[in-house]
Amino acid sequence: MDSSAAASRPAIVIDNGTGYTKMGFAGNVEPCFILPTVVATNESFTNPSRTSNKGNWLAQHSAGVMADLDFYIGEEAMSKSRSSSTYNLSYPISRGQVENWDSMERFWQQCIFNYLRCDPEDHYFLLTESPLTAPESREYTGEIMFETFNVPGLYIAVQPVLALAAGYTTSKCEMTGVVVDVGDGATHVVPVADGYVIGSSIKSIPISGKDVTLFIQQLMRERGENVPPEDSFDVARQVKETYCYTSSDIVKVEYNKHDKEPSKYIKQWKGIKPKTGAPYSCDIGYERFLGPEIFFNPEIYSTEFTTPLPAVIDKCIQSAPIDTRRALYQNIVLSGGSTMFKDFHRRLQRDIKKIVDARVLASDARLGGEVKSQPIEVNVVSHPIQRYAVWFGGSVLASTPEFYAACHTKAEYEEYGATICRTNPVFKGMY
Amino acid sequence: MILLQSSSSLDKGIELDYHWVEFGDVRYHVQVTVKNPLVLLLSLSLPAPPPETVFIAGLPFGAIDAIKAAYGTFVHILDPPRDGFNLTVKMNLSKLPPDEDRRHALLVKISSIREVVLGAPLRVILKSLASRTVASDIDRYLALVHRPMESFFLIPQAEKVTVVYPMRFKDSIDIVLAKSFLQEFVEARRTAGLNSAPPCLWSSSAPKELSEAPAEALAVNAGFVSFVIYPRHVEGKKLDKTVWSLSTFHAYVSYHVKCSEGFMHTRMRRRVESQIEALDRARPDSAKPKKHLNRSFKRLSLKEARSNSRS
Repeated sequence: MDSSAAASRPAIVIDNGTGYTKMGFAGNVEPCFILPTVVATNESFTNPSRTSNKGNWLAQHSAGVMADLDFYIGEEAMSKSRSSSTYNLSYPISRGQVENWDSMERFWQQCIFNYLRCDPEDHYFLLTESPLTAPESREYTGEIMFETFNVPGLYIAVQPVLALAAGYTTSKCEMTGVVVDVGDGATHVVPVADGYVIGSSIKSIPISGKDVTLFIQQLMRERGENVPPEDSFDVARQVKETYCYTSSDIVKVEYNKHDKEPSKYIKQWKGIKPKTGAPYSCDIGYERFLGPEIFFNPEIYSTEFTTPLPAVIDKCIQSAPIDTRRALYQNIVLSGGSTMFKDFHRRLQRDIKKIVDARVLASDARLGGEVKSQPIEVNVVSHPIQRYAVWFGGSVLASTPEFYAACHTKAEYEEYGATICRTNPVFKGMY
Repeated sequence: MILLQSSSSLDKGIELDYHWVEFGDVRYHVQVTVKNPLVLLLSLSLPAPPPETVFIAGLPFGAIDAIKAAYGTFVHILDPPRDGFNLTVKMNLSKLPPDEDRRHALLVKISSIREVVLGAPLRVILKSLASRTVASDIDRYLALVHRPMESFFLIPQAEKVTVVYPMRFKDSIDIVLAKSFLQEFVEARRTAGLNSAPPCLWSSSAPKELSEAPAEALAVNAGFVSFVIYPRHVEGKKLDKTVWSLSTFHAYVSYHVKCSEGFMHTRMRRRVESQIEALDRARPDSAKPKKHLNRSFKRLSLKEARSNSRS
């Protein structure tokens, strides 16, 4: 099958996030599968001591177990590791960077063969990476994709650019904007101008979705809720996903609201203890709004980092080239699961607007009213597919005909080597 | 497969328009419209058939009957199918059985529509084998499509059916791995405990029964695998499993080839790491303070500076 035949099939889009991996075929609205990025491997075979190498192999063979096949990914991996002690969980991606390439390769393998059930030789691939990924790791990805899977073509896109491209269909395509990407493991504020990432202005925040979960867990533990300790992280995660929302003003509105009508705002959580099987229940109170609040008032969670998210975004835009700033304020795009809290974008827009207005007022005062500056429009964009905006953007881009021309092909890889994967051109379909 | 299952069980009254592709270029399209949320259209396009296979109205022979037998009244075949597809069926979701287990079973069955359609001729032959009534009017061999422009062959005989797969791979490494994998595979068949499995052979030349087949259909680079299926392999419930395994054999081999490649990379990586460690240990101690001095005055070379600013 030559590459022209492969170009007639939809490309495969895999977005590997720290917490969840989204994968599917280009041209669709939703990813086919969203599963935790985790691999369970049977370590007893993969660390053979040098002397008993041969014996070990024989032992495996007679046991009917192939070491290279004995692994699981996603939810299966979770349940396997819980039910048997021979499997070790490994999270191949941490803080947005691939750490364990062995697991990553296995993870992709299962994604392609077991979940998407397709032949990698038949499809172009679009993978994603965080804006701070080193070119070496891009090379490594290319090596695995071309050498192991023999993909006909590969494009490694930057996540925030894809998140911007996700707005492609809703309005006219705007490839300039700030992407606020709050994932499970990493939070980045990335300015993008005409499809190019402004690398020097990227800001990262050590607070992410996982910290929200940890904070909720901590709050519930301190209040003495009756949650079994081995389950508490999981409960906190589910509380976060189902009940949390962003408040406009925690002191005035929320505490009052909760104190006046506790029955209306305090939710009940019911669960079953995993060990004894006994049911339990606990109350969910202030953590419903305090969880997301750590983005706006980080001092309630950590002492090391105290700059609120709106201020970081503002600083990020101020450090970008001056001619792009207005456009950047106009298009602040949210992406990632942890921006899904109710009214998150309203609060963010209000807070940034406040900062910007204060600055405009100050500059007007300094100029003494001679020149009136134009008001700056601040716009935080939120769309329903925010949770997998990156994947959706990838799906949109990979379904354009220009995508196939922008891909690195297998022939190019064989001609020039893995270095071609270092750069991926911004192509026409993007804007 | 699993896809369809999840999408059709989740989406009640939601617009759905979904495309996807499976092993061997089988394409699917699922559509549910808001206007008519209980009717689901599933279209299927099959790999392009090579000249030696027989297709009737765009489908392998016996496919329509197989669909009717498998799904009964739950699906209706639309004629003609949608543009670009070989088959379109209409399902009425309101007729799904209410009971969870049966619904699940039905959905799994629908997800394997590929096997029902492509495996139909295979099923017919194997069924006649099970009942020991091999039709004598069939040619000496029968070609069935399983990948675009590629087919595998059935040689029906009185007491057995021989299934021959010509194996082709694109990449040179894949060819080598596939060859050794298949040899291992044949070896593994000989071990005790697998005595009742179908006998399996691997050879680099085509069996003589296929001498009449067109030459391009037999142009291979990883040899031929043949299985001999006896009636005991297709009795009762085993039939479904046999058909499924036979029709996905190529994907199975290719999966294992990729897995072993991945495993080899793992070992190569570990080896490189251990050697780098050894190199680090071998570095003379006197180099250390010098290096330290160097570093404090080190200026970025042009290349490094560029890669720093880019990342």
